[in-house]
Amino acid sequence: MLTTLIRREILDNLMTFRFAAAVLIMLLLVVAMTTVLIRDYERRLTSYNTAVKKHRQEMLETTTYSGARLTIDRPPNPLSIFSVGLDKRLGNTLRVNHFFVPTLWDARKHGADNPFLNLFSSIDLVFIFQGILSLLALVFAYDTLAGERERGTLRLVLTHPVRRGQVLFAKYISGMICLLIPLLMCILLVLIMLTTSASVFLSADDFLRIGGIVFTSFVYLSLFYLIGMLISAVTHRTGTALMLAMFVWGFLVLVYPNMILTAVKTEPPPDTQTSAYNQIKQIWEEFDRDRLQYLANDPVPGEKWSFGLSGEGGGSFWGYRHHPSSLLYYDLTGFSYKALKAESEPLVPHVQNYHRFLGPQVTNTAERMWLVRKPSLDALYTHPAKMEQMLLRFSPVGLYDAATEAWAGTDLNGLQDFFIAIQRYHQAVIDYYLDKKIFESRLWFVGAEGEIDWNLMPQFAFQRSDISINAKRALPDLCLLLMINLVLFAIIFLTFVRSEV
Amino acid sequence: MILHITKRELYDNLNSLRFALTTLLLLALMLTNAIGHLREHPKRIQTYNAAVAESLELLSSHADDSLYKLAQQGPGKLYKKPSPLHFCAEGGDHLLPNIIEGSKPYVYSTGIIGVWQLSYPDANINLKRVGPDVTKVDWAFIIAYVLSLIALLFTFDSISGEREHGTLRLMLANSVPRHTILIGKFLGALISISIPFTLATLVNLLMISTASGVHLNIEAWGRLGIIFFIALLYACFFLAFGLLVSARVQRSAVSLVILLLIWVTFVVFMPSMLASIASELSPSMSADEKWTQYGQMQQEIWDRYNYVAWSEAVDKKTLTAKSAFFTEKAEMIERLNQEYLTSQMAQVQHARSITRASPATLLQHLLESFAGTGFTRHSQFVENVERYARQYREFVVDIDRSDSESFHIIGVREGMTERKVLPAAVPKFEDTLRLSKDFNDSAMEILLLTMFVVLLLSGTYLAFVRVEV
Repeated sequence: MLTTLIRREILDNLMTFRFAAAVLIMLLLVVAMTTVLIRDYERRLTSYNTAVKKHRQEMLETTTYSGARLTIDRPPNPLSIFSVGLDKRLGNTLRVNHFFVPTLWDARKHGADNPFLNLFSSIDLVFIFQGILSLLALVFAYDTLAGERERGTLRLVLTHPVRRGQVLFAKYISGMICLLIPLLMCILLVLIMLTTSASVFLSADDFLRIGGIVFTSFVYLSLFYLIGMLISAVTHRTGTALMLAMFVWGFLVLVYPNMILTAVKTEPPPDTQTSAYNQIKQIWEEFDRDRLQYLANDPVPGEKWSFGLSGEGGGSFWGYRHHPSSLLYYDLTGFSYKALKAESEPLVPHVQNYHRFLGPQVTNTAERMWLVRKPSLDALYTHPAKMEQMLLRFSPVGLYDAATEAWAGTDLNGLQDFFIAIQRYHQAVIDYYLDKKIFESRLWFVGAEGEIDWNLMPQFAFQRSDISINAKRALPDLCLLLMINLVLFAIIFLTFVRSEV
Repeated sequence: MILHITKRELYDNLNSLRFALTTLLLLALMLTNAIGHLREHPKRIQTYNAAVAESLELLSSHADDSLYKLAQQGPGKLYKKPSPLHFCAEGGDHLLPNIIEGSKPYVYSTGIIGVWQLSYPDANINLKRVGPDVTKVDWAFIIAYVLSLIALLFTFDSISGEREHGTLRLMLANSVPRHTILIGKFLGALISISIPFTLATLVNLLMISTASGVHLNIEAWGRLGIIFFIALLYACFFLAFGLLVSARVQRSAVSLVILLLIWVTFVVFMPSMLASIASELSPSMSADEKWTQYGQMQQEIWDRYNYVAWSEAVDKKTLTAKSAFFTEKAEMIERLNQEYLTSQMAQVQHARSITRASPATLLQHLLESFAGTGFTRHSQFVENVERYARQYREFVVDIDRSDSESFHIIGVREGMTERKVLPAAVPKFEDTLRLSKDFNDSAMEILLLTMFVVLLLSGTYLAFVRVEV
């Protein structure tokens, strides 16, 4: 009986005009979008490759350790084609130094990017599914019950010895099958386009992640289908059902996510930034006092940090940055030369002693700054972001977005993975410096070309997180979506069973 | 007769579910908008005033010092004035820099200081925010997305529905010309959606204009009037579109599906998709290129002038060379900065003009330019600053020229007048907005929108006249 019902429903749906129109529009949009997105990905990849090459060259050209330019670039995530998340928006290049612990907030953009283009919102495939699939689901569902009731066919069906639950279930299954067809066709097309493109490289894990995204889309779709069925079950006329369905769609997809974040204030407490920044400033002032004290007490007269050294191919530099918004502050002076003049040679041991004292001092100060920065940056940026995400979860759209971003690894956690890897690298570099006694070596400030073998330095490596971690991050949102599905189905069942036909 | 049909349509709509839902939705959105604006705007104004006061104080302290200090340090930080109509269109203002610095004299490692130049900060502010990306609920959002959707929901069944019920045949059996019916229906729908929209707008404006700390002057009210008119024009576009499809299609459900799919494509997806394609077509100068050029030019200037850089002599020849060194260097940096900015803005401008194929973007642009926010406003700000920079430089030269004892060599202390400068006489930066200019700039877009509406309406007429009932 059930199969007969399902078959009838599917045939009913498949032959309609709305189905054909929906499939056509979906396919057109997806193909156009994928082409654009692949091109965009290629552009970002080229920009990344150029940056890597340029930064590698820069590193090889430096001749002293104090001038080392260890720049890490963030490759674009191929799954950002599905869900762009923060992948495109946040900084993608970061210089690793011994005087501060690098974070996401210190990263900048590659030289090839035009920051003004951020004015245009970035889109992805999930956005299409989110907008159009939900609309389609409602359009398919709004008349499932109300339509049959209006035409009187529902009464006819129920005169047969079939249970109401079965009718409901058959309608649900058949509707979902009809909706799955365009979704799967789209995914298939996208996959074909991705695999034939020369620049996008997807690993086996990536295919599993895409599977996760498809499954999440399916659950999201089913949720909207159930909302449509619920509306259909409680209204008596299709016209009313349609109107209600459209307003519900407009509210959930279009209005709520934007409205809630305008209405609710998620800013951090107002003085978090200034108090943390002043604390950091104090740490550096303390550092400066110690430094000056050392310079005053050392055997060389005067407090000059340059020791009156003179040489060629270089000079003094200021490493300073005052960045209240990312709580970054440091104030360093230093110098590096390619060669020293003969009269400066006797001073070298003193300078080396100075740096033996200063090097660990700087890394300690950086460590202390980090202890203040980490919680304050979290309070300033991460907590409001999490709060906003939480508020968005009241709409299925928010849940869907969060889950797909987690699968793709373009959410905050996924990006933090990368910056945590950079922090590990930063620690490895400092350990290397301390281990090889580089701070106190002559190469710290004087070095000719080729004297340092940069390949001996620790190398940066990053592997995107394991698929199981992605799954773990996506699971809470996915479970919530599933639960809402079940609850909705239960409510529909109860209303339908008790309603008069 | 038109009046009669309009009235009937109106009564029909006033009692319907969609009217109630529309009123609720629009009211909720407009309230949110007002609350958000009232929370953020006073803060914005406060920050702006404090920053400007600080900048002016620095300027007058330089003026107190000497004319040389003015010539060397420049006018300081110049701020973009926040628009009082920020709630109409946010326009990505949080992504655009609100400051241009007319300072930063080049300091050489030996302690020699050059002269000031304009430097433009990058639009990189958003790098720090890690929250989800959402659009602020401003009027542009409410009108472009919500009002257009509502317009479609009010018209999708206005002809096909009557055809389904058979009432269309009845109506046409009377001696009513078809265009009268069409116009009546159009006006009826327009009035029905204008009522909740006007109501919501009035509530919004009431909240905003009565709050302390937010002042709307007469010009702002004029701009609001124009914005309201544009909103209705935009609604007309979608009403006409809904009628067109409704006239051609036999069943209302099909009509709605078609309308929604087209709406989603043009309003929601088109803008960002076109922008992505267009920005690829016209690449801009990259920061790397800029720095390469910078390095070369700097080297060239240094090679030309390094003989004077270290000189302590105060004879006229050395001073002139030093002045030329500083000025040329500043000009070079400024020119490069400008070139870089222009190429970036040109790329955005190009992409923006292509995205105008979507009516939603058209509306967004119009609202931005009348609200005085967004990208066009930013380029106007840049222009204002550049004009002011010229004025400032001329002022310095003029004051110096008035002293006959001075060597008239700008940019070096010994070459300029020692006379005091009145701080009040120094030109101050005033960021201005002119309604007539905004109107001129967007006249084309308004015409385009009107043309679309007229085109659609005549299309609807043709479709309806020829259709079988």
